[in-house]
Amino acid sequence: MTAVLQVVDVVQEYPGVRALKGVSLDLVPGQVLGLVGENGAGKSTLIRVLGGIEQPVSGQVLVHGTPRTFRSSAESQAAGISVVSQEFRLVPQLSVADNVFLGHELAAGGVVDRSRTRGRTAELLEQLGLDLDADRPVSSLTVGDRQMVEIARALSREFDVIIMDEPTAALNVAETKRLHEIVRRLASQGKAVVYVSHHLDEIFEICDDVAVLRDGELVAHAPTRELDEARLVEHMLGRKPQTFERAAADVADATVRLDVSGVRVPGVAEPFDLQVQAGEIVGLAGLVGSGRTELTRALFGDLKTSGGQGLVDGKPVRLRSPREAIRSGVFMLSEDRKGEGILPHLDVTENAMVSRDRRALPLLQRLLPLVSDERAQFARLRADMRIRVPHGRQLIGNLSGGNQQKVLLGRALLSGCAVLLLNEPTRGVDVGAKVDIYQLIKQLADAGVAVVVSSSDAPELAAIADRCQVYFAGRRVAELRGRDVTEDNIVGASVGQTEVSHA
Amino acid sequence: MPDATLAPGGTADLVADERARSAELARRADSRRQLLQNAGVAVPFLIVLVLGLTVVPHFASGSNITNMLVNAAILAIVGYGMTLVIAVRGIDLSVGSAQALAACVAASAVNSAGPLVGALVGIAVGAGLGLANGLVVTQLRVPGFIATLSTMSVFRGLVLLFTGGAPIMIASTSFKSVATASLLGIPVPFLVAVLLGAAAWFAFDRMRFGKHVVAVGGSPEAAVDTGISVNRVVLLSYLVSGAAAGIGGVLLASQLGVVNGSVAAGLELQAIAIVVLGGTSMAGGRPRVVGTFVAALLLSMINSGLNLLNVPSFYQYVALGALLVFALSIDGAQRAAVRRMLEGRLS
Repeated sequence: MTAVLQVVDVVQEYPGVRALKGVSLDLVPGQVLGLVGENGAGKSTLIRVLGGIEQPVSGQVLVHGTPRTFRSSAESQAAGISVVSQEFRLVPQLSVADNVFLGHELAAGGVVDRSRTRGRTAELLEQLGLDLDADRPVSSLTVGDRQMVEIARALSREFDVIIMDEPTAALNVAETKRLHEIVRRLASQGKAVVYVSHHLDEIFEICDDVAVLRDGELVAHAPTRELDEARLVEHMLGRKPQTFERAAADVADATVRLDVSGVRVPGVAEPFDLQVQAGEIVGLAGLVGSGRTELTRALFGDLKTSGGQGLVDGKPVRLRSPREAIRSGVFMLSEDRKGEGILPHLDVTENAMVSRDRRALPLLQRLLPLVSDERAQFARLRADMRIRVPHGRQLIGNLSGGNQQKVLLGRALLSGCAVLLLNEPTRGVDVGAKVDIYQLIKQLADAGVAVVVSSSDAPELAAIADRCQVYFAGRRVAELRGRDVTEDNIVGASVGQTEVSHA
Repeated sequence: MPDATLAPGGTADLVADERARSAELARRADSRRQLLQNAGVAVPFLIVLVLGLTVVPHFASGSNITNMLVNAAILAIVGYGMTLVIAVRGIDLSVGSAQALAACVAASAVNSAGPLVGALVGIAVGAGLGLANGLVVTQLRVPGFIATLSTMSVFRGLVLLFTGGAPIMIASTSFKSVATASLLGIPVPFLVAVLLGAAAWFAFDRMRFGKHVVAVGGSPEAAVDTGISVNRVVLLSYLVSGAAAGIGGVLLASQLGVVNGSVAAGLELQAIAIVVLGGTSMAGGRPRVVGTFVAALLLSMINSGLNLLNVPSFYQYVALGALLVFALSIDGAQRAAVRRMLEGRLS
């Protein structure tokens, strides 16, 4: 069969980085190609090139055998390539229907045909199995529904190739299943699908072939049935993966560092109780929208709470602002690392030092930090936390997600906190750095910090948590301890299943 | 391992509950936002109307009503253009200067080539100045605020150069009668404002261009990804704003009969005030033409009321500034309402 899309020796460079070092790929109609690789391997760059957002330095893109250059996303779409982007690219003020047909409106003489727009949207939503009013503004939708609208938009265009960049990141189990069915149906209709995902089980479930990118090069391209998960990870990393084993914490006579009771949080149905001991890692599990993010933000004083009380190391604390929270020894890393974590225009040293507890320092040094002292501090952090940066003056914005997260964990460490709240600590972090981060979290716990990890990644919680509370629709539906903290139990409870299976 | 199957319907019910709860929350937050948007202009409008009718002498006299409607019409037309520019996250500070230049060139063209040509020339001048703004913003990549602050000075200089500091008297009585004429008892400029407002509403709500405006103002990244040319939309917005200032300038020339280089000073602040008061968000993506229209009537009533009460004009500046602060605080509250809604939903 002739290739519908050919990528020939595409090279892309950014200042100081060669993001793609001559990548070639062929895609035939009806093929589902899994595209995997660590973050920074070049997947997103390749997608931007195909989507017309970026123009490659050299190399060619051929559609149906003819070379094409895309100077804008409109030109790429016109050539039959539809992209479901990873970030939400919807206009919150417009309705679902208007968003689906944005840029290719069903219009006559500039006037939008509203009934046809609505009708076609309703059809597409039904195909996706989504019960949603096409007139609702997108600002009122859940993250999962927004992702589905994004997919509906990609499907609304004429296309031969559809590229899905981590489409299931915000979807729950049922929605993910439905999406897989859609992908299979598209393939059977003769469309070519490029499917990008960090979840390798997905890749094995729906992809015919897998292409692995590493450091901007295509290191493997093989039919899925010739691979297994271990081999795939090895290709991605270029080495054998490390595994993470955590011995259960010895919590026999540990002191309670965080003790919260009866706190009410908006968006969460029940008053909230939580005790965490020194050295303990407590997981908060639940679907997107289950309320666990609100809980961590409330503990950090970032959301208004009412009633109840909180104690840190036995002293009462008021949860009114992040500033007060940090002063009383509570620190949080947000799930939105780019928006609420890193200070992108500052270097890694400044980023690590910004919340440092300076109370023990001499007065002069509190006001005027010593450069040599900060440098020494950072050098220690870099060694301890295996942060891969050439020097301390490196801007944090240019680092990979995993390295950014390590710097932020360093920030938490230097803040001298008693309680550390982590939201999705490994979102957007690649397989290799994940294990490093788990080890760092464990080190922090072993140093006596009470750690709370809120995550939608069940295997992650199963790997690191000593105890796990599972939330559903603002209610705590399960509390798993010790050996009951398993992936199956967490996933089961997250969707409202109350039976716990004991290992 | 114990049986892990679900009680029938258990999960589905919980999921449905959760969906219903979130939809309800979203609906409530949206209605609160709408309430703030509408009340922000409707409540002051009613208060000022009642106060005007009860306290201010001659407020409801025929000549004063005509006067208020004509002033409101000119302001509203400029406001429509400003609504468009603010909806794409821009701002046009040059509307006052552009209107003055359009009015003076139109006046001189009326004297030399007749009323109709004069009016068309005035509108064309406004559109040309708007195009210049748009090119500075999109091609030279100067932020709208600074770009139009600069052209505000440039245009004002040009109009003073054009007039040489002397007033221009308009000879044509037919041109001057446009602003004072009425159809079925309604002043013609007001009818023009209503028609243009309806056209603007239709363009925003029903046309492709309106969707693109909301997309560019609401999420520029989404606009780029869907193949919308952001530059084209922004350029057109500034052009329309200039043309609207030009139409306003022609009506102003007709109303005044004599124009000079310093007319329409401070118009930009009034235009921004009515746009924001009308519920258009400074954050972009939410144009509200009807609100702009009502707010123009409100501001015109306030000005007229203060005049009739013989309040020194200095106080009008204070009133305008206070109104703008009030409008912006409503805009802030409205955005906070949206943010709270999103926080309750997206986590």
